[in-house]
Amino acid sequence: MDGVLPSAMPADKTAPVADRAAPVKATPGTTGTRTPGRLRLSRGLAAVRLAARGGARYATNAPRLFVAAGEQRQQLRNDLALRTAEDVAATLGTMKGVLMKIGQMASYVDDGLAPPVRRTLSRLQDSVPPMSAELAAGVVEDELGGPPDEVFATWDAEPIAAASIGQVHRAITRDGRAVAVKVQYPGIAKTIAADLGNVALLRSLLRVAAPNQDVNALIEELRDRITEELDYHREAANQRMFADYYDGHPTIHVPRVIDELCTARVFTSELATGARFAELLSWPQGEKDLAAETIYRFTFRSLYEAHAFNGDPHPGNYLFNRGGLVTFLDFGLVKYFTAEELKPLVHMVRYLCVDEDPEAFRRAMEDADFLARGAPLPTEQIIEHMALFYDTVRTPGTRTMTAGYASAVARRYFDFRNPLAAYARIPRSYVILQRINLGMFALLGDLGATGNWRAVAEEIWPFVKAPPSTPMGEAEVAWLARRPARTESLSGR
Amino acid sequence: MTAEVYPAADGLVQRAAAAFTASVPESPADDGYFGPGSATWRLNGDLSAPVAGLRSLLVQALHPLAMAGVDQHSDWRADPAGRLASTAAYLATITYGDRGAALRAANRVRKIHERVRGTDQVTGQPYAAGDPDLLVWVHAGLVDSVLAAAELYGTPPTAAEKDAYLAEMTAAAELVGVPAGRAPATAAELDDYLAAVRPVLTLTPAAAESTAYLLNLPGLEDEMGGMWRDIGDAAVAALPEWAACMYGLLPQQPVTEQRREEVRQLLGVLDALYLGEPGVLEARQRIELRMRQARRG
Repeated sequence: MDGVLPSAMPADKTAPVADRAAPVKATPGTTGTRTPGRLRLSRGLAAVRLAARGGARYATNAPRLFVAAGEQRQQLRNDLALRTAEDVAATLGTMKGVLMKIGQMASYVDDGLAPPVRRTLSRLQDSVPPMSAELAAGVVEDELGGPPDEVFATWDAEPIAAASIGQVHRAITRDGRAVAVKVQYPGIAKTIAADLGNVALLRSLLRVAAPNQDVNALIEELRDRITEELDYHREAANQRMFADYYDGHPTIHVPRVIDELCTARVFTSELATGARFAELLSWPQGEKDLAAETIYRFTFRSLYEAHAFNGDPHPGNYLFNRGGLVTFLDFGLVKYFTAEELKPLVHMVRYLCVDEDPEAFRRAMEDADFLARGAPLPTEQIIEHMALFYDTVRTPGTRTMTAGYASAVARRYFDFRNPLAAYARIPRSYVILQRINLGMFALLGDLGATGNWRAVAEEIWPFVKAPPSTPMGEAEVAWLARRPARTESLSGR
Repeated sequence: MTAEVYPAADGLVQRAAAAFTASVPESPADDGYFGPGSATWRLNGDLSAPVAGLRSLLVQALHPLAMAGVDQHSDWRADPAGRLASTAAYLATITYGDRGAALRAANRVRKIHERVRGTDQVTGQPYAAGDPDLLVWVHAGLVDSVLAAAELYGTPPTAAEKDAYLAEMTAAAELVGVPAGRAPATAAELDDYLAAVRPVLTLTPAAAESTAYLLNLPGLEDEMGGMWRDIGDAAVAALPEWAACMYGLLPQQPVTEQRREEVRQLLGVLDALYLGEPGVLEARQRIELRMRQARRG
């Protein structure tokens, strides 16, 4: 089951537009018609789009910091480090942290964000310097009760990566384990909470960043995401569950959480090594296919068996080793489903791809509230529209994922001229699943991955449970047999 | 004015950004007229700068002779974005540029001022843009607005910082021809000056029409238009009471904490937009690095 979602969530047309306060005194030709009331909607990101439209003109001139800065650039960046909580607020406050998050969310949406807007938002990400060694050490000390040099046997003060609201340091624990320690920017929670309160501005930003989506649902999601992300306990719990679940898996690796070194603002896990996505792209196609198979199996086994979906298929969240070995990082964004929530999705894929029963498929869509009951559309039109989402698993055989397919899926997803759009919606609990269509397909498309996706899916589909179709599938069977008996679902914990 | 004349928001943000980027030198010959440790570097680069800019224009327009000069000689309405961008670039050059660049920019302004002279239709008085009285007025409108906008929406300056800013900025006034000692150099002097000049001020039809036009710039695309008007509202709310009265506004409500937060959030979005333009981040970093170095000593 690829396409778990119907297309075209309704555009949020009913959202109230903030009122302008009535004029105090309407004196024609003067400024007297103006009065400070609540701010009207400011379509900030649309302005980003407008501004970015001509930005390409300059894009070829790589801007210089200083003449001949060259290799000193890293040093200069360090010189710009955030040293105080006030620096953090100045850099990530006044909506900037929230904008970055919107950019991250919207970056999954292929056609939902014009490339110039994406560039602008990634520029914003670039604008955040790392914390100074002292500021990061201060957070570790506040959270873990001692300076990093005491809490850890070895602490690398130079961060190895930026996280959306923090940065990652390497360290070795006192019992000798190599770990990655994510340290949150101090004061960020307060800064971002204030910005999340400005719903009118958020609404207008999201309407532009993710046009045609249900803005209210997105605001809810954005707030939930950020709130969750601010508390690293949540991420630690997610990652612990995934690490337990995939313990011993032949190709899926989830780094272990180091519980005693985790708090709300510091998150410590095993240090994993491997190639980044960009490097994987230069590997032989066979390696890319294996990596894709692992990601595919991880996504759908997690969903169908563990009832959990890691909604962050960002290329930066994987590390790759030869033979299809993939390390999955960043479990800040996990959605758990109840069996009830999952059932209609299972029914849909079953009726469309296995039972080939269009009317049952339509009823399953209606049961899940994806499609209004009694929509005046012939079932075959619905099938024709929806089939694209299931294209890679609807018929047996080997298929190559392409960027073209990924963007066709995204285009159809956002095709609001389609008559179906008026009757389709995505209930909030499924919103995050759009990332299967829009994120994972984009990733596999970039890899140009070839596989018999239908056969792999049949291994995992709970109503088929087919025997292994690939060597990786064989290895999974052996892993499943070794695994201690367990309740399969992670949800409800 | 129509959309063809004012080709939408990209003109405003892009041109302002390009001008700003070019104004912050990659290899400055010296620290300019203020230097990275100055209050001027800090305040002229405050988040509230867009509000300060609009408020300046609203205040400055209330002097009939200053207004007449603009009205009769400037073609700003043909290209308001270009005019706003070049004004912002001038201020950035004076602030962050080296002395040579600041002097060249100021001499260009003086040259333009030489041609700006005539008779105001409303008061019947002759005017010349190079008249020190008018230059002091325009200067006062700017510095008062920078301080008021930072106070309300930015990082509020301390009393000492205000005085330092005003004292430093007299150099900017002198660059365009204000005789030494004429520009207000402390907060108290600025208040005295503004009280003394009040009888001269009036809302001429040209000022009313120009500021209304400025606040509702036609031709802005919808999204940018909303943002522009919000910035305008924030600028109007930051006007001194006497200026608000002259514009026919009822006494302004004090800016609430919530309102301040909203304006700051809007300014943050605008700033993010600006940062997305090529070179702006690097120019900001050049400024920040030099300011940090100055603080270190």
